[in-house]
Amino acid sequence: MTGFYDTNLVLIQGTLVAVLLALSVQVPLRFGIFSLAGVGSYGIGAYLSANLVLRYEMASVPTIVLTGLVTAIVGLVLGLVIYRLGGLYLAMATIAFDLMVAVVALNGGEWTGGPVGLFGIFSDLTMGIMVAVVAMCVVAIHLTERGKLARRITAVREDIELASSVGTNVRAYRLAAFVVSGFIGGVAGSLNTLTRYAVGLQDVSFHLVIVALTMIIVGGALSWRGAVIGAVLFTWLPEVLAFVGDWQELVYGVIVALAGIFLPTGLYGLWGRARRRITSRRDKSSTVGTTKSSSDQAGHHSKTAAHPSPDRKVAPR
Amino acid sequence: MQEVVGAVSLGSIYLMFALGLSAAWGTIGILNFAHGSIFMFSVFVSHQALQVTDIPIVGLALIAVVVGALLSFLTQALAFDQIIKRSANEHAAETRILIGGIGVAMIPLAIAAHVTKNSPFGLQSAATGIEVWQLGGVRISSVQVATIVCALTIAAALGVWLRRSRQGLALRSLGVDTEVASLMGIDRRRLAWGTMAFAGGLAGLAGILLTLNLGAITAESGDSLLIKAFACVVLGGVGSTLGVVTGCFMLAFAETWVLTQTGGLWVEAVSFGLIFAVLLLRPQGIFGREEVRRV
Repeated sequence: MTGFYDTNLVLIQGTLVAVLLALSVQVPLRFGIFSLAGVGSYGIGAYLSANLVLRYEMASVPTIVLTGLVTAIVGLVLGLVIYRLGGLYLAMATIAFDLMVAVVALNGGEWTGGPVGLFGIFSDLTMGIMVAVVAMCVVAIHLTERGKLARRITAVREDIELASSVGTNVRAYRLAAFVVSGFIGGVAGSLNTLTRYAVGLQDVSFHLVIVALTMIIVGGALSWRGAVIGAVLFTWLPEVLAFVGDWQELVYGVIVALAGIFLPTGLYGLWGRARRRITSRRDKSSTVGTTKSSSDQAGHHSKTAAHPSPDRKVAPR
Repeated sequence: MQEVVGAVSLGSIYLMFALGLSAAWGTIGILNFAHGSIFMFSVFVSHQALQVTDIPIVGLALIAVVVGALLSFLTQALAFDQIIKRSANEHAAETRILIGGIGVAMIPLAIAAHVTKNSPFGLQSAATGIEVWQLGGVRISSVQVATIVCALTIAAALGVWLRRSRQGLALRSLGVDTEVASLMGIDRRRLAWGTMAFAGGLAGLAGILLTLNLGAITAESGDSLLIKAFACVVLGGVGSTLGVVTGCFMLAFAETWVLTQTGGLWVEAVSFGLIFAVLLLRPQGIFGREEVRRV
């Protein structure tokens, strides 16, 4: 086990960073906001942490916390600015934000190291701290997927008029999505810089947008579990599928296209659907319809009905 | 003055590329994220064809147009049609089309990057026939003239066709309300196929002309062009042909100006900044109408 841990340390760290990066795009999606600004926050976080450690010799924990707070504020400001936009316009505005971060990184002089980047960023980050940080973020998000709050978020995503008619402050929820996305994205960038000891233009490229989207689309956009599935899958797939080698990008493209077309709720959604089908079949096949099992069934269904997928299948006309 | 010629021909390239993007977006509601990849791959196929035999420039352009049209048509038929069929509403479809497009875009890009080993590719042996004229201190090449003429003619023709013809009317009605248009007996699928093939063909043509202008492009060239084209369309207003024309030339002139003022590195920021500024100040664009379809 330790042997496995040591040889795959880089991949394990990569997975943890990927989980947060994917979450930073997934959280706004769950609020019904197609924002890719988390990737820009990741870039800002990566460079900011590098500077905090290199210039001010800050320890890892305050670096991560400060970075997260700064990128959360950036997220809030961005959210306030582009709040009015919706759909594709919002997606493109946030992509423009990501690319602007990249241009600034390229032109940032000694603060960003220009095309070369910054190196030798050594800090006291340990695996324990890293796991704790990621776990805290995941638990916090998990809590938003339960109970009243989860139902409000679903309402904000599925039907804004309905949500505001029952007294939900839609604007506050949408802004919160930007703030959370900024925070998690910044922390992800920070962790990446501190584990790699370096930061460069590859941490702000358009490619990252595609990576983050790929993970969520394939994993599933409606729960943090989808982000985790996607992050694990796409960090480890190149290792497992050695034969894919040079054609990795091609395979990814095919996977994303197919998932985009056929798996609107991702692998996690697929699993949920399969589980539901199995339970309903079992109920049908049982000859004695006891009250208990049917009430279970009803409870189960009403629970799932509270989380309708945004792209429910409709019968083709 | 030399800069003006450069800016106008750059704007013309943007125009040919952006016209297809805007035509599909403004009428059938599809923002094709694979458009840049299709643009690049058409040039790539022409480049490969040139390795095998000597083909004149017109032949290469024809190959690129056909490849572009075919790829764009296939993207629509195999990916976007399926997504629309499986989506509950237009809003859900919009997001998934964007994601599906990103996936599709990765495929030609991976093939081209693999074959060329990420190095730039051009149409060298065909480019030898290009003439350069000297007009009172200003140099202008035959490719630049061809670019400008092609772009303006196609834009004008498209604008007139959309306004005057029956099919143009049908297409525009799809842009206003898909459901009502379908009830009126408009075959959305067929019109979408035609529009996408046209857009892809234009992207192929733009690809050949840009490559002849620049000398070479890389597998990633399509991506940055896509963002720029988006900026042009948003700037002018989605669904307005005149708007795209204005947007493209404004972006080209702004970029040329920044280039002469600062040196290369900030040029990329112009289009991103423009996207932001326009979306904030006048989301419907310069020539856009008030949004008919609410998001």
